[in-house]
Amino acid sequence: MHGDTIVLDKREKRRLAGEYPDLCLTCGTCAGGCPVTGVDGLDMRKAVRMALLGLDQELVDSRFPWICTICGRCEAACPMNIDLMKMMRSARALRDRDKVPGVMHKGVEMCLKTGNNMGIPKEDYLFLLEDLGVELAEELPGFEVPVDKKGTRIMLTINSKEPFNEPEDMFFWWKIFYAAEESWTVTSENWEGVNWGLFTGDDDAMKEIVRRIVENYKELECEYLLLPE
Amino acid sequence: MSVHDLMKEYIETGRIKIDKSKHPELTTYHDPCNYARKSEKTFGHGYYEEPRWITQQCVDNYVEMHPNRGNNYCCGGGGGAWAMPYSEERIYYGRVKAKQIKDTGAELLIAPCHNCRDQIMKSLRQEYDMMNVEVKYLWELVADSLVIEGVDDKEE
Repeated sequence: MHGDTIVLDKREKRRLAGEYPDLCLTCGTCAGGCPVTGVDGLDMRKAVRMALLGLDQELVDSRFPWICTICGRCEAACPMNIDLMKMMRSARALRDRDKVPGVMHKGVEMCLKTGNNMGIPKEDYLFLLEDLGVELAEELPGFEVPVDKKGTRIMLTINSKEPFNEPEDMFFWWKIFYAAEESWTVTSENWEGVNWGLFTGDDDAMKEIVRRIVENYKELECEYLLLPE
Repeated sequence: MSVHDLMKEYIETGRIKIDKSKHPELTTYHDPCNYARKSEKTFGHGYYEEPRWITQQCVDNYVEMHPNRGNNYCCGGGGGAWAMPYSEERIYYGRVKAKQIKDTGAELLIAPCHNCRDQIMKSLRQEYDMMNVEVKYLWELVADSLVIEGVDDKEE
């Protein structure tokens, strides 16, 4: 961090360098253990150099922070313990929201608006739960899906892809609860267990989605919250 | 409460009963980044051993893939990649995971994460010629192994 370089003006503006990238030894351990090293001519070691040099916008505009799955293998191996995952997520966060790739930002907006990423209407969702409950009761006598039941031991969130695409996959947990004679409930609103704000770098949305789940959990006075993601 | 702690509690305390004979095939376990490495980093505890214990309560024939636990490779579907338009890169990413799975010779793979399960089951199996490998959620394995009193004994 001593001496000046030709990119000093950029370095002063850098936002992505996080807390520790100054410490990078350029050893390349991060890039060496990463399955997508080289895609688009980039890798984690180069990304750290870009952040250090203040080439924030170039990194933000590149596909690399989105092709990286933020799995953290690089960070776990980094000898200087540099916060690489935070750097990548921050690069995602600095994208304009209308330039977030694919459906994720739309999912976040949908979740904030309707309480789930797919926008499944409440009445359809409740009808589905009841219908599936009746189906499962043919195998498990007396089974039904408890909705908004107060004071249960467990409050369960649901991944919206299940009611949307793979409804019978919800049976797995329901069967386990039945076998264990568990006291549990799902909620009629804000039941989404997937939080795409985590992936798009959208802290405000992420917090709001979590807040709604916690609100349900407190209102229903449940003992444990279970998010099978 | 973590899904792993809950399933472990049910099995340990005898609240659910498991029949191992329902899954005789060679089985391996995939460590999802979030339950494993990132949980260790964020919460000080990585869920490495609990899901392995649960899996081995349901199957006798178990094999590890390498590397595993904190050094495990991402399936390639994480961080939202499953929902992103870069499918060519996502599949390329998954080649390492596919090789890890194939090298074990397992016919059943357990993944306790929606992203990992979808990436491996719906994409990597087709792309890397391993349709013989069945993929289940950890809770699916447990649900499929259940012996429920008053239900299963009636059928027999």
